[in-house]
Amino acid sequence: MDLSLTETQSLIQESARDFVKGDCNRDALLKLDRNPGAIMDGLWQKMAELGWTGMAIPEEYGGTGNTMTDVAVLCEELGTGPVPGPLFSSAILCARVLLESATDAQKKAWLPQVASGERVFALALTEDRFGWTPERIRLVAQRDGKDFLLTGAKVFVHDALFATDLLVLVRAQSGSGLSMVRVDAKAKGVAIRALDGFLAGMSEVCFENVRVNAADLVGKADAAWDALERAMLTAIPALCAYKVGGCKAVFDLSVNYSRERLQFGQTIGRFPRVQDHIIHIVNYLDSARWTTYEALWKLDSGIDATGGVHMAKAVASESYLRACDFAHEVHAGMGVIREYGLTLHTKMSRTLYHCLGAPKLHRKRLESVLGLAPK
Amino acid sequence: MDFAIEDTAEQSAFRAEVRAWLANNVSPRIEHSVDPCDMSFEQYQLRRELGRRLGAQGWLYPNMPKEYGGGDLAAEKTVILYDEITRLGLALPPYYDAGGRMSAPTILVWGTEEHKKRFLPPICRGEVRTWQLLTEPGAGSDLAGVKTTAIRDGDVYVVNGQKVFVGSSHGADYSWTIVVTDPKGERHKNLSWLMIPMDLPGISVTPLDLLATGGEGGSGSGIKNSVFFDNVRVPADHLIGGENNGWKVATTHLEVEHGGMGRISDRRVVYDFIDFCRERHDGYAIADDPNAREEIVDMYIEAEITRLFALRNHWLSHTNQPRSYEGAQYSLRRKLSGLDISEKMLRIAGPYALTKDKRWAPLNGTVEYFTRDAITALHPGATTDIQKVIIARRIGIGRAEREKAGTLR
Repeated sequence: MDLSLTETQSLIQESARDFVKGDCNRDALLKLDRNPGAIMDGLWQKMAELGWTGMAIPEEYGGTGNTMTDVAVLCEELGTGPVPGPLFSSAILCARVLLESATDAQKKAWLPQVASGERVFALALTEDRFGWTPERIRLVAQRDGKDFLLTGAKVFVHDALFATDLLVLVRAQSGSGLSMVRVDAKAKGVAIRALDGFLAGMSEVCFENVRVNAADLVGKADAAWDALERAMLTAIPALCAYKVGGCKAVFDLSVNYSRERLQFGQTIGRFPRVQDHIIHIVNYLDSARWTTYEALWKLDSGIDATGGVHMAKAVASESYLRACDFAHEVHAGMGVIREYGLTLHTKMSRTLYHCLGAPKLHRKRLESVLGLAPK
Repeated sequence: MDFAIEDTAEQSAFRAEVRAWLANNVSPRIEHSVDPCDMSFEQYQLRRELGRRLGAQGWLYPNMPKEYGGGDLAAEKTVILYDEITRLGLALPPYYDAGGRMSAPTILVWGTEEHKKRFLPPICRGEVRTWQLLTEPGAGSDLAGVKTTAIRDGDVYVVNGQKVFVGSSHGADYSWTIVVTDPKGERHKNLSWLMIPMDLPGISVTPLDLLATGGEGGSGSGIKNSVFFDNVRVPADHLIGGENNGWKVATTHLEVEHGGMGRISDRRVVYDFIDFCRERHDGYAIADDPNAREEIVDMYIEAEITRLFALRNHWLSHTNQPRSYEGAQYSLRRKLSGLDISEKMLRIAGPYALTKDKRWAPLNGTVEYFTRDAITALHPGATTDIQKVIIARRIGIGRAEREKAGTLR
């Protein structure tokens, strides 16, 4: 048993910490919040130069083949920002999807460019009947000779606005199995529109007679789900680690505020009711942290991690959301001033709550893992 | 990171050695009562005998130094020992020895060489059983407010006062006791610790009738008591850590008591209960009900988080990592999740959770016992409120300086 970071992980942590402190300090993040696309003007390239876009990709496809725990250590630090952008969507989630689903030719064509950051993938899965289960996916890709023709919409797509390529879940016809196709984000008939509101980096993606070449069919026609699910299970703990970082930042903000804010002639942290809020936060932080890192350890050690991943996702999503809630109780008015920065986390905790399945879905899955659900 | 507790060839060899040793040394006459209060004197004696055999191996207090009767074992080996003995429904020590568990690491830090040589080996070898006497009728959460006095008289301290909610069934050889050595002294500067032989004249022990007492999991105390001291003359060299220095000594003791050491295995009853919910009787299983399944998953997650906190603390303490709030965080979690889990058991199993009737009780009455014990467990080793106070201080909420954690071996 050894719960410490490896030397490699400590180095990753250190460089990511410097990046967040420097390039992604609060003022930079507030600017990005107002203009999300600006992250692709320099910052993204810097992240790629640091090697982060290649970490989850094996060496044979141009990456550095790090463990998922290495990747998670990076994500945790980025979550402290919270640093927005497509790193998770493209270089972790979609990279894993391609590794699980794509042909070797496709992997060789696309993954090195994902690893270098030149290509940015986003996963377009959810639709108007929102949900992360296969039966909610209805978008039809009509056969047209060897090609497909795509008309319809995806919504609440994470990071599509940064993407050069979309992985789109479709059905060859209504009622048939799921297929996945790669669509050029700039292709004729593709319209990506960022959604406004209390969310970050989510878009509507509309397809109007978009022609998809047969060579862009990723994985097995009508049978894309199993590989996709395997990829999601591998990627989810990295997303959980991002939320752990979010909890950590919210905890630090709250502790520091409790030491500075004076009311009734003393720091507010001297009041047991304020202390209780912060104790809730640290409990959420550590619950998210240890469920996440145990799941990662299982993944990296080849132990069945299915139950651990579902648990980590449920716990981390709830923890991040509630940690923010309690931080708002600590901060009162200060917390809702956008310039202060707490609301960046609050917004992110909501945005990511449903990403790759809400806690309720993962708890349901855990029922099966525990052998509770009837066969 | 590595969460695994059996890894190397060396470790699995040690596990095999422990398992074989336990197979030869755990008496087949050892029986497990659901409620520690039901443990007979004969059963207690069997556990003491096992303790002495473990002690002779250095396995009763495996992480204490060899020269004082411990095993000097590395963290991984200690984990394996705990793991294997827990598998048999026992604990380490296999009998209630809270005074030993709390005092041994404390004496190691605060005792003189003479104290260490004299008091530690009998504890570590299982030759004595030790209670801890802290709580008094007027001093629960406010430990520094104890009133039991120990007044120096030549080469003895004369002890007078009352302790409550302490000890176990079947008596003790020693009691690790906090007393006031300077009744006129300033708060926090008037306390000391005595290792009191329980066979001295003037000590009387009266059992209490409580809802539950032991804590689940093999080393439950059984019955709790009041202990009265009436002019008890304790040799002065039984005072450990310096006269009137007891509050400082207490910070080490309390660090141990507040879960700083961590545990490896936890809440077996929860996992057994989940098995029970899966079992099919007459074509019906509790888990057939979708609402029950949701509650079971919630309960499982609660138990898993508690397990992970314990594992983390164990790793921190056995690798001498700096700790701050983690001990109290685990204690708080364990207490509150126990209550939460017991409520879920009640919702899932209905009144089955409340009976120990031989015909109707699930899991031989362990669920009924757990529902009582979860309530009782809210106070021992400090209430949930005190745990929160400790967490807040250690994190440094509202304070520029974080309070430091005590030193543990």
